[in-house]
Amino acid sequence: MTRFSVNDRPVEYRMDPETPLLWALRDASNLTGTKYGCGTGECGACTVDIDGEAIRSCLVTIAECEGRFVTTIEALSRDRSHPVQQAWVAEQVPQCGFCQSGMIMAAAALLRTNSNPTDAEIDAAITNICRCGTYPRIRGAIRRAGRVLRGEERIAAAPPPGIRPEDAARAVPAMRKPPGS
Amino acid sequence: MAGIRDTVGKDKRRLPHVSRRSLLVGATAAGGLAIAWSLWPRDYSPNLTAAPDEHVFNAFLKIGDDGHISAIVPQCEMGQGVTTLLPQIMADELGADWRTIAVETAPISPLYTNTLVVDEDSAIFTPRSGVPDFVQDVRGWVRCEWAVRHAVMLTANSSSVRMFEAPCRDAAAQARALLMMAAARRWDADWEACDTQDGFVILGAKKLRFAEVAAAAALLEPPAEPVYRASSADPLYGKELTRLDLPAKVDGSANYAGDIRLPDMVFAAIRQGPVGATRLKSIDRKAGMKSPGLLHIVEHERWLATVARNWWAANRALDRFAPVFETEGAPVSSDRIDKALKSALKADAFRIRSEGDVGEAMAGRTKVAAEYAVAPALHAPIETRTATAAPDGAKLRVWVATQAPAQCRDAIARATGLAPAAVTLFPMMAGGSFDACLDHNVAVQAAIIALQIKRPVQLAWSRAEEIMRVPPRAPARAKLTATLNAAGGIDALVTRIAVPSTNHEVRDRLFDNSPPDVAQRASAGKPDAASVEGAANGYAIPHLAVDHCPADIGLPTARWRGNADSYTAFFTESFVDEMAARAGTDALSYRMAMLGNAPLLARCLLTATSLGGWEGGLSGTAQGLACHSMRRSHIALMATARQSDKGLQVEQLVAVVDAGRLVNPAIARQQVEGGLIFGLAAAVGATTDYEGGLATARKFGQLGLPRLSQTPQILIEFVDSDRDPGGLGEIGVPVVAPAIANALFAATGRRIRRLPLSAHPL
Repeated sequence: MTRFSVNDRPVEYRMDPETPLLWALRDASNLTGTKYGCGTGECGACTVDIDGEAIRSCLVTIAECEGRFVTTIEALSRDRSHPVQQAWVAEQVPQCGFCQSGMIMAAAALLRTNSNPTDAEIDAAITNICRCGTYPRIRGAIRRAGRVLRGEERIAAAPPPGIRPEDAARAVPAMRKPPGS
Repeated sequence: MAGIRDTVGKDKRRLPHVSRRSLLVGATAAGGLAIAWSLWPRDYSPNLTAAPDEHVFNAFLKIGDDGHISAIVPQCEMGQGVTTLLPQIMADELGADWRTIAVETAPISPLYTNTLVVDEDSAIFTPRSGVPDFVQDVRGWVRCEWAVRHAVMLTANSSSVRMFEAPCRDAAAQARALLMMAAARRWDADWEACDTQDGFVILGAKKLRFAEVAAAAALLEPPAEPVYRASSADPLYGKELTRLDLPAKVDGSANYAGDIRLPDMVFAAIRQGPVGATRLKSIDRKAGMKSPGLLHIVEHERWLATVARNWWAANRALDRFAPVFETEGAPVSSDRIDKALKSALKADAFRIRSEGDVGEAMAGRTKVAAEYAVAPALHAPIETRTATAAPDGAKLRVWVATQAPAQCRDAIARATGLAPAAVTLFPMMAGGSFDACLDHNVAVQAAIIALQIKRPVQLAWSRAEEIMRVPPRAPARAKLTATLNAAGGIDALVTRIAVPSTNHEVRDRLFDNSPPDVAQRASAGKPDAASVEGAANGYAIPHLAVDHCPADIGLPTARWRGNADSYTAFFTESFVDEMAARAGTDALSYRMAMLGNAPLLARCLLTATSLGGWEGGLSGTAQGLACHSMRRSHIALMATARQSDKGLQVEQLVAVVDAGRLVNPAIARQQVEGGLIFGLAAAVGATTDYEGGLATARKFGQLGLPRLSQTPQILIEFVDSDRDPGGLGEIGVPVVAPAIANALFAATGRRIRRLPLSAHPL
């Protein structure tokens, strides 16, 4: 059986039950924010949230997901408002960005159970590989997201997607309402 | 748009004085390229497409009736921030509101040729020594003309800002002049009295949005020479603006080549067999065809591809086909590579650089020598090589990350028999690259598969294919020999470096579409100045020679973040440290004594040691130094590292960088942090052995790449500077390994002369 919940929607995958979750998400559901980097659980680019836990989606089959709740980067928030996403932009963490979905999902899972992690706890939770070298910013960004979660700080670094042209024109003097709208 | 003469992006360099004789010499030297020079088109128009409410100003800028400004970026975004940096330069000169800036990837056009890399490459490739200047000038000019004609839009050599700052600024100045002219007509005023600010043309109390005059402005004739904006009270240039690509990189919406989804699209996996002249010999068709979910197979002379409705099913089918490959000649192995390097180091060499007279200076004196070796270095980006291809009638559309889009398109055209104009390339962001995207095999393979199965297909290499089949940065072996003066300083230094002629290979693959093994064999034995670049740079040594000993290692090799400097700096900076220890002198003052001609580098070194609390390099301090200059930037690094029961512990890196003027200091810092981590990875891993033509590492975890828990404390300072921008993408890489090796020597008294540092002693 391959019926479970992905981003709060019930899904049944008509695929080989042995298919790793990663490929069901990417190739059947077109949820491409979750990335393939190694297929052996070592890089962490495919990390998703399953029942609150950060899991490498290349190592779990869709059969093993039966009845569980899977959340991918696309549904971490609707509008980039998750404290980890905001902190990630505020601290300018991403470079090429390819490993970042996995990093962010791992960080969000850590903070859900522990909003004030120590360096050692962060190091133990974030075992993802990044080749661009975003590591020096990650501890700081996680701590900052923790402060937001604890209500000690607010960040508005990443705008929500899909801003309407009319709203842009209201906020930015150099813009004008598109002619004909 | 019609009638606008495009003055942007045109090669403004003066034509060298050409006499009949020099032209003949130039023509011969450039292999006949110069013959047709008078027939080549001299002007190119932008080939941008625009929405109905958008107006093309030039090759770099479009402005919309709603006020959005599209900045056209002709470089591959690989994480270096180029899709923010070039727009930032343009927005600053234009007087735009940063919130109105959008980014588009440039189409293939000669207007975006990276003449700087071609120039630098020419200078390195054909060293000036022994060639009369006029011949050199003509050769360089011919090469540039050739590059423009072939739209060589390379993203390489930390050159994005160095190359494109001036064209971007000129493009913005031109568009700004046109906007002011259009506004001045409305006001019946002198356009040169106008100014721009925050997306408005202003004149006294009068203001007009760019949006309101864009349509009229785009039809006007621009001034012949760019008129630049007087300095602004609040310039965008130099500000730590948030990268434009970040919002899409935190919610999964940033698209890479593997994220393209098309109707009816299927997924392909590939197996290519051992490195070398390899042919697909046989497959187990009976077992393979039973693979669940298999839709198609494509058999190529050199590889087997399987196609299914998801990539995992395609990749699993490859195992069932159990392809057997046949390789001509002796298979590549680490043993063979080591032997080739050792014998090349003893054989005749090409003298690439020569200052003073090393022969005479060393005659009859006591020589001190040391040998060093570095393993091949893997790019190992998290994104494996991936491309999407879709037949479209008689045409083909391809989505791929490439650092040379025109050459990628041409390679696809040549392999498929299509005309280049029938191939539409969509350049995507790269998931790392580190120069892996100079290799176009994956795009060619995806194109072949798509045409054969007649439907859209996405090909992704598995991690194992990526490790085995992306040519690594070359392994190298070096012998440094010096004679010392009375104070123990270096009087004469000969650096012999055994390394393959990588840059010939890269050229053959990139411009002639040679398969890697063919390019490797054709290049073996050729002198390659770029493969020893960066040796002994910066130091004032009276007698100096750098030799390239071409090594035929059988393993194809490639460019890589940091290129040759990533090993030449290890050789030089380790050896200088050894000489300082031998002289009983502090490694800082020993270096400073030789940096009289390199004041910028010397300043970096002094600042880094004072920031890091340099304790004089006494044994037991665990502190090590290294400094280096490349791509017009300078860096000094102080590392604190020791060996513990848990292995090598790098505790701290303190870097001081002089990269000239910084467009965006936040991105500059990211680049140096990234370079240091990349250098750290090469110091401790990022390599593989080879056996029987195959890399012995197949999994990511076998590459020994550092993770968050192994990340040292990092402190980076930039020197305030008005110099033109230097390169930032690579400058952090070369100094890390020698600084750590020197720190380990200070901590343990043991000198490691091999990279990765964890490997057994030389």
